[in-house]
Amino acid sequence: MSDPGIILPAPEPAAARLRPERTSLWGRALDQFRRDHAAITGLAIVAVFFLMAVGVWFGWWGTQWSQALGGRWEGPSGGHWLGTNLLGQDIFQRAVYSTRTAFEIGLIVAILSTLLGGLLGALSGFYSSRWIDSVLLWLMGTLDSIPFYLFVAAVAVAMAGNPWAMHIAMVATFWTTTARLVRGEVIKLKNLEFVEAAHAIGLGQFRIIFRHLLPNTFHILLVQGTIVFVSAIKAEVILSFLGLGVQDGVSWGLMIAESTQEVLAGQYMNFIVASSFMFVLVMAFNLFSDGLQDALDPRRAPR
Amino acid sequence: MNAPLLKVENLAKHFPVRGGLLRRVQAQLKAVDGVSFELEAHRTFGLVGESGCGKSTLGRTLLRLHEPTAGRLWFEGQDLTELDTSALKRQRKQMQIIFQDPFASLSPRRTVYETLREPLDLHRIGTASGRKRRIQELLEVVGLRPEAIHRYPHEFSGGQRQRIGIARALAVEPKLIVADEAVSALDVSVQSQILNLIGDLQREFGVAFVFISHDLAVVQHISHEVGVMYLGQLVEQASVERIYSMPTHPYTKALLKAVPKPDPQSDDLDAAAASVLEGDVPSPIHPPSGCSFHTRCPEAMAICRSQTPKSINIGSETDPHQVRCHLVDPALSLHIKHE
Amino acid sequence: MTRINQPHPVLRVDNLCVEFATTAGQIRAVDQLSFSVEAGQTLGIVGESGCGKSVTSLAIMGLLPKPAGRIVDGSVLLDGQELTRLPEGRLRQLRGAELSMIFQEPMTALNPVYSIARQMTAVLKRHQQLSARQARHRAIEMLARVGIPRPDQRIDDYPHQLSGGMRQRVMIAMALSCQPKLLIADEPTTALDVTTQAQVLRQMVDLQQELGTAVILITHDLGVIAETCDQAVVMYCGSKVEQAPVADLFLQPRHPYTAGLMQSIPRIREHKLDRLPVIEGQVPNLAALPPGCRFAGRCPNREDRCVQQQPPLTERGAQQFACFNPWNGPVES
Repeated sequence: MSDPGIILPAPEPAAARLRPERTSLWGRALDQFRRDHAAITGLAIVAVFFLMAVGVWFGWWGTQWSQALGGRWEGPSGGHWLGTNLLGQDIFQRAVYSTRTAFEIGLIVAILSTLLGGLLGALSGFYSSRWIDSVLLWLMGTLDSIPFYLFVAAVAVAMAGNPWAMHIAMVATFWTTTARLVRGEVIKLKNLEFVEAAHAIGLGQFRIIFRHLLPNTFHILLVQGTIVFVSAIKAEVILSFLGLGVQDGVSWGLMIAESTQEVLAGQYMNFIVASSFMFVLVMAFNLFSDGLQDALDPRRAPR
Repeated sequence: MNAPLLKVENLAKHFPVRGGLLRRVQAQLKAVDGVSFELEAHRTFGLVGESGCGKSTLGRTLLRLHEPTAGRLWFEGQDLTELDTSALKRQRKQMQIIFQDPFASLSPRRTVYETLREPLDLHRIGTASGRKRRIQELLEVVGLRPEAIHRYPHEFSGGQRQRIGIARALAVEPKLIVADEAVSALDVSVQSQILNLIGDLQREFGVAFVFISHDLAVVQHISHEVGVMYLGQLVEQASVERIYSMPTHPYTKALLKAVPKPDPQSDDLDAAAASVLEGDVPSPIHPPSGCSFHTRCPEAMAICRSQTPKSINIGSETDPHQVRCHLVDPALSLHIKHE
Repeated sequence: MTRINQPHPVLRVDNLCVEFATTAGQIRAVDQLSFSVEAGQTLGIVGESGCGKSVTSLAIMGLLPKPAGRIVDGSVLLDGQELTRLPEGRLRQLRGAELSMIFQEPMTALNPVYSIARQMTAVLKRHQQLSARQARHRAIEMLARVGIPRPDQRIDDYPHQLSGGMRQRVMIAMALSCQPKLLIADEPTTALDVTTQAQVLRQMVDLQQELGTAVILITHDLGVIAETCDQAVVMYCGSKVEQAPVADLFLQPRHPYTAGLMQSIPRIREHKLDRLPVIEGQVPNLAALPPGCRFAGRCPNREDRCVQQQPPLTERGAQQFACFNPWNGPVES
């Protein structure tokens, strides 16, 4: 019978009777997340960065990132908090402006690859071992087998300096992981009885996919979205360094690229600032992402 | 109306078994192999057998959740096997299913309201405002408090979830419900509550049930007619009184003897163990020749290995008792005596 | 059933209390549980999910999930040795050698990537210091004793090649191969079909009596208790509500919960009932247990004091029960 063996005694009735107020799975995940100090710290740091990016967006700060406001390689001062670079541009302003660039790339790539991965993964899982699944699996396998930077370079060349080349290349490579995870989950879910019950009341296939299957993969989509966000920011730095990334504006990658000349001259400020900004954001986001994953872990929640 | 509510004739469901590099079909798994029975409104057909005998597949094939490989299915005189997708969708209103696992049978991210609302919306039952009232009624019918309506499945115990599953099945006012091991995952004290609820629903709404279970005692309590299934075939079927008072097929006899009795005096673990069948259920991919039960049958004869027994009525016209066994074949038993 | 009388019980559990830390606070999963088992004896623990029967077995084995669950009070004596205070390393030596356990799902309890031979000999080599050949020989002998045909061939099979009943037999053979003093069987036949269940139980009982092993059989099925056990403990909400020799228990259950359980089991009857007898209501929440008797809310025999006071265990001959107003009525059987 349903004696749960090694788990807690009667997990479900106990939980049911413990909380008289109504709690959704999300509500419970939130409770769990709140207790995770590392994740909360991560989220707070991410929030600071996000505000920084929003400020740049609205033109509250970081507006003078491109002007040469001082002399070459000035040290930190009241006017230039983190000094200036080779061209006399304010390093702090440039780093702040780059936050916006990072968020733009991260969000766009994360949202698009999650949508694409979720949708195609669900289709592939629902129609597993049918032709549509074979085609999608072949596509994922092909995209995964192309070396990432080679692929970006190819897309960049093909699109002749189009500023979206990098985004497209990233989305095209990052969605496959999400799709594979969603596919696996959907294959597991579609054999569960609540999906059979949906068939039994006469629900159509698309409604079953969108109303019953995809909502139950939200935890995967969310966590995978945060992972793609971080990957995109890191990839941007390398791509921009190689000259394949951001085409106009400034980014941490471009700052590191220009700092190569400075480092030879013994000027490390540009390099350190750009790397630190990126490091702190990526680190904070990873903490947040780990906490999210723990909170949404279905094994943790009593079924 | 003379036609029975449900009439099943030689129904079969085979699954292709693929293998090898090219995933060619190498064999057929005959999960259901030529099953026939009838069911009237207000009645319950109990389907009993061990795991892997095909009883769950049969239940799902009855609802065309699996496409039948062969055979006919009539529901109120209409041939279900000929319905196209949209007609089938309308027909779904008439026939529902309740499941074994009270954890997997409800979507974890939907409230009771959302779960019960969906079938009503889909089949346009009642007005928009009437639907909420209908959901409240349904909860009352299955014995849940009205506060339950906005809660999520994980907030309920196994028995309560099973009640929600029953409410979902009842929402469309079906005439037939297939209950697939609907009480096997529940604790004994809850099990009897749910069995009583099913009995009440039948009395009140006249729903017919196909009740699938491995538990002979439960099947006896709930059913009017019983079919015993072995390797995809009904080896014995009759009214519940007949089957339990005069089990005839050796498999039915063995099943009945094996049930542990809650009575220490009977001291029949030895009896049960002694009468118990040798070996395991053979693979339905390569069923034995002749009678598929002969490999485990304590009374197997030479003919059982070579010839498939036909279903023979050993009861009367009005109280049929079908047995698929050479032992009851009058022609053969004469033949054996002569030997 | 034969009973080998010994001055000391093999296992003595005294006032055992197990708590779990959950999001809702501490939950007492087992409360002041005491019982003992003698060599060659089978003690059944019966109850519904969440009653603490599985937690009890894990507590005895020292396998409570850490850090959530822990023994907060009481003692577990195996042959006079206190298990609750043993260091983990010492416990690990005992497990498999003197204490053994079999689980409900034989498929998940066996490692799918190793052959039966490898899994069985590993235990024997480790606990009995046998050579590879001796261990294999011994394993084949054990398989034969639990009724596995052609054990010298089947031993090289992998778990997926065996049927459910065969796997559970392998588990029993493995669990008893080092001749443990105590075997805990947690719902050993629940996952099996009826026709295999009786055989597997029979084989387990025979082998146990041959080896003089003490057995704790945990089950929800009173039928299994009736057919295999000498003594039975009935648990409800973490505590023992009744204990008696099986014959007495079925003849005259004293706790209304036991009586209710016996009546609500569906059984094959000569005359069908319209409605099955039920225990109304639901098991109370372990985190907010009522002050009085835990069964009071569902009890047909309830009195005023049942709601306020916890009834103590009363002894009546060989039978113990925790009830102010015990059941006297007949129970159908």
